[in-house]
Amino acid sequence: MKKSYILAIILVVVAVVLLLQTGNATSEYANFAKAAATGDKVQLVGTYVKDRPTIYDPLTDPNYFSFFLEDLSGTEREVILLMGKPQDFEMSESIVLTGRMKDEQFIASDIQMKCPSKYKDEEEMIKSLTES
Amino acid sequence: MEEIQYINEHLGPRYIGHFAIVLAFFAGLLSMVSYFLATQHRGEVLRSRSWQRLGQLAFLAHGAAVFTVIGTIFYAMLNQYYEYQYVTAHVDGQLQQRYIFSAFWEGQEGSFLLWTFWHVILGYVLMVTARRWEKPVMAVIASVQVVIVSMLLGVHFGFGDFLLKFGSNPMLLLRETVNAPIFQQADYVSLLRGNGLNPSLQNYWMTIHPPTLFLGFASTVVPFAYAVAGLWTGLHREWLRPALSWSLFSAGILGIGILMGAAWAYEALNFGGYWAWDPVENTSLVPWLMLVAGVHTNLISRATGQGIRATYMFYLGTFVLIVYSTFLTRSGVLGDTSVHAFTEMGLETQLLFFLGFYFLLSLGLLIWRWSGIPVPPKEEATSSREFWMFIGSLTLFMSAILITGSTSLPVYNEIRAWFDPVYDGLTLTDPEAHHNRFQIWIGIFIGLMSGFAQYLRWRERSFGKHARYFAIHAAIAVAAAALLTFLTLLWIKAPSLTYKAMVFAGWFAIWSNLDYLVTFARKDAKAAGSVISHVGFGLMLIGIMASAGNKRVISQNQFLMEGLTDDEQMARTTIRLYEGSPLGMEDYIVTYVGDTIEGYNRKYSFDYQRIRPDGAVAERFELQPNVLYDKDFDKIAITNPSTKHYWDRDVFTVIMGLPPEEQSVTARQATEDSLKYRLLPLATGEQAQFRDTVAVPQRNSSIIYTYSVELTDFSRRIQHPDYTFEPGDIGVAAAVRASRSGGIANHDTTASVALVLREGLLYHFPAQLNDIALRVRIDESVFDDLIVRDSDLDYDEFVVEPGSTITVDGQVITFQRFISQPRVDHFQPKDGDIWVSAELEADGATMQPVFLIRGNQPSGIRDEIRDLGLFAHLVSLNPETNEATLRIAKTAPREPLRIPLGVALRSYRTDYVTLQAIEFPGINLFWIGSTSMMLGLLLSMFVRIRQRQGLPGDAAAEQ
Repeated sequence: MKKSYILAIILVVVAVVLLLQTGNATSEYANFAKAAATGDKVQLVGTYVKDRPTIYDPLTDPNYFSFFLEDLSGTEREVILLMGKPQDFEMSESIVLTGRMKDEQFIASDIQMKCPSKYKDEEEMIKSLTES
Repeated sequence: MEEIQYINEHLGPRYIGHFAIVLAFFAGLLSMVSYFLATQHRGEVLRSRSWQRLGQLAFLAHGAAVFTVIGTIFYAMLNQYYEYQYVTAHVDGQLQQRYIFSAFWEGQEGSFLLWTFWHVILGYVLMVTARRWEKPVMAVIASVQVVIVSMLLGVHFGFGDFLLKFGSNPMLLLRETVNAPIFQQADYVSLLRGNGLNPSLQNYWMTIHPPTLFLGFASTVVPFAYAVAGLWTGLHREWLRPALSWSLFSAGILGIGILMGAAWAYEALNFGGYWAWDPVENTSLVPWLMLVAGVHTNLISRATGQGIRATYMFYLGTFVLIVYSTFLTRSGVLGDTSVHAFTEMGLETQLLFFLGFYFLLSLGLLIWRWSGIPVPPKEEATSSREFWMFIGSLTLFMSAILITGSTSLPVYNEIRAWFDPVYDGLTLTDPEAHHNRFQIWIGIFIGLMSGFAQYLRWRERSFGKHARYFAIHAAIAVAAAALLTFLTLLWIKAPSLTYKAMVFAGWFAIWSNLDYLVTFARKDAKAAGSVISHVGFGLMLIGIMASAGNKRVISQNQFLMEGLTDDEQMARTTIRLYEGSPLGMEDYIVTYVGDTIEGYNRKYSFDYQRIRPDGAVAERFELQPNVLYDKDFDKIAITNPSTKHYWDRDVFTVIMGLPPEEQSVTARQATEDSLKYRLLPLATGEQAQFRDTVAVPQRNSSIIYTYSVELTDFSRRIQHPDYTFEPGDIGVAAAVRASRSGGIANHDTTASVALVLREGLLYHFPAQLNDIALRVRIDESVFDDLIVRDSDLDYDEFVVEPGSTITVDGQVITFQRFISQPRVDHFQPKDGDIWVSAELEADGATMQPVFLIRGNQPSGIRDEIRDLGLFAHLVSLNPETNEATLRIAKTAPREPLRIPLGVALRSYRTDYVTLQAIEFPGINLFWIGSTSMMLGLLLSMFVRIRQRQGLPGDAAAEQ
């Protein structure tokens, strides 16, 4: 099976090369400063700032949701999410956005939210159990 | 502290369940050891056989114990024993019986039990069918069972501060898992309520997807066990035949399980697709790819003796990857990156042990036996079928490695973060694009190879003789595929060359396999399964290209935002629809027809009309996506899409949002409270006018609207479309006409409003006039004016005949006549009522107090003449003398009744939804193709098993 060994080695090399390329497709989570510096599409983590205004008026534009996000380095910026306000948005612990910086705003085309699990906080669970 | 004697706890299932788990663990352990010794002493027939008997008995007992554990959990769930933690977490009073299975495998423990259940069933089948392979194979399966059941043990060992936790026991009571004041009460059981099943799992796919997927997961242990058995016993060729049937079975079932998950995602989730390269999806796909690679090398080694080592590696790898997948999804490592991973439960160490043990076992066995595995001295020819099948397997293997590599990024991050706590972690910027970039080319390559490898022969030694046949058929296949690709591209557009190549590869695979079937299938029934699978793969390639590459968002957003890129503009796919107003989207006209609510389920109806370019309606259909509210109607728990299936495309629709007031009763109340109602006291026929100035957003101007509200009718009987009568209700109703002028258009509408007093609570039935953003209701103060209590009045009693005249405080009143069963404004009769009124006249006005007999109980209803300040009761009547006993009181004359209408401007519209609609062309090709791929695998299995049974000498030879 000499030939197949050679082929196997070639395929493994190709796989490794492709996997190393994966490095280009990945990035560390950016913050607003980094996003503004590059201007490219980045992923960014942060938390929703509850005491700043949020705007979502589906009657005006159902694909425009604006809120303020604090990134991991503590900067607050306005985010324009190009879709409707997601369910349970207020409950999210942290938010991952995909988008780019445009002037002072972050234009996000995708959002992923990490919500606290319903069952994680057991005291909460007991509380909800006994309320009736 | 004193021990509390709890009442109403059902501890029976707990004792049985605990005992059964422990029994399952130790019986599994005994079975494993016995089968191990039976294999080790296989030389000594008698000794080996007695160990084998013990192993069998122990495994039977183990299986019975596993069934008992499952049975007790079901028993507790069906009876809703909320004192059990597992029941509280997954069941509630609303849970429908048909979702009880979904509730069972919602949790980690339930899904572990499902897995062990299948292992037990497979073990039983193997005990009957595996013959000489039973001992080593069952030793492996029993060992896996021991490891999995240990995760359900829930035993804790403490060494000083160090606590060792073995598993999470599904039979624990709630009070054993959490510490809360409620457990100070002896009757806490009666206070408990369940959390219920996650609404996204309340779907029929969730009843059949998990058991199928877990059967697929579980069955990968069989090829693994055969591979271990082959290495263990050194019989490197003999295990290949039985393992092949099992791995075909496993690949078919696992594949169907994965597809069911895809179907569930497409039918029940709102991301608008069937595959998202989510880590959980990936980790179930990777073992399947590995297993299919193993099936191919297994075929090679059965036919030529080549590639036994590869077969070992693939089958061992498949199971290790299954365990790795279990580790990823259940340890909480994926947390951030996947939507449907379990949360951590403290089983990480055990899962890691599970993974490490079987990985090292596989590796160790391979190293130990490597040099003994037979390799034919002569290398296969480049023109032989086995050579290209081997390349295909390696390509599948590469695909598996690539997917695993990128999916394991969170693991890599975790490890880096362990050494370097400030390390942030890497993430794939766009997982979908990343995976597609590799996997589409791999798919194209596999499609082409699965085509032309069929034209090659096993153990080719003289390709020269065969070359003519090969050249002709391959050339025809290329030409046919090119033509078909051209025709396909007339129907659907291929956005790039890659997609065009994919369609070509798909057609090439289909054509060459069908060609092969026509030429060869009569000679070999085994070909049929392979052809069905490979044709299915070809169809799937075309289907992926058609549905994903041509996915068309119908609900294109009409609002353009400045400064967005095309991609960003494409992301804006939600559209708003007002109830009853048709909206044109692409070539469809969509109307939000209405909605109905049943329990927590609110179903919306949308009318779709597809318009041809000439304006005619090409087709018309209705879609009914729905939303499910949570238990308090305080938020939307889940939205389910609805899809219209055509043979050549699907139209997919999902509700993206509702007005906040429709999402939550709290929000509705808050909005209602925030409205500023102005009071307009109006008599019937009167109208009021007022103005409102509205600023035009982002313009330096404003619009002045003139509103006019008229009370057209008023009644003391409650009339309102949403009102249902209940005895004892008191209330008022009014008809209102409202108009607005100014702005772009004038509006004029009528509406009815009502106010009901029921058991001391006020119920408003307001009118929301959406066209003019006006909300009208009757103010509560209406009752202050309307209701004068009898105790505040000074009554005089009179006994009089009809026609006589009475004077009360100087007011002359004539008792004109009795009226039998009259229809009056202030009294609503019911069936069986007998009533009569006395008509009293004063200064030209009349009133009719009512005497009522309802169910043998006499009572009366007062009436009044408002502007004279007169109130009258008909207390009784004397049939013999024809006299009425009247009680009449007089107060100062009162103003005519004005109904206080509360009117709120700029109220929020609630008659709209936001919606997403997508057209998927050719998605059926994907489903048909992928399903036939799996069915082909299962067909091959049946053909092989039948052939085996057809040759009695063969079975004997294996003994």
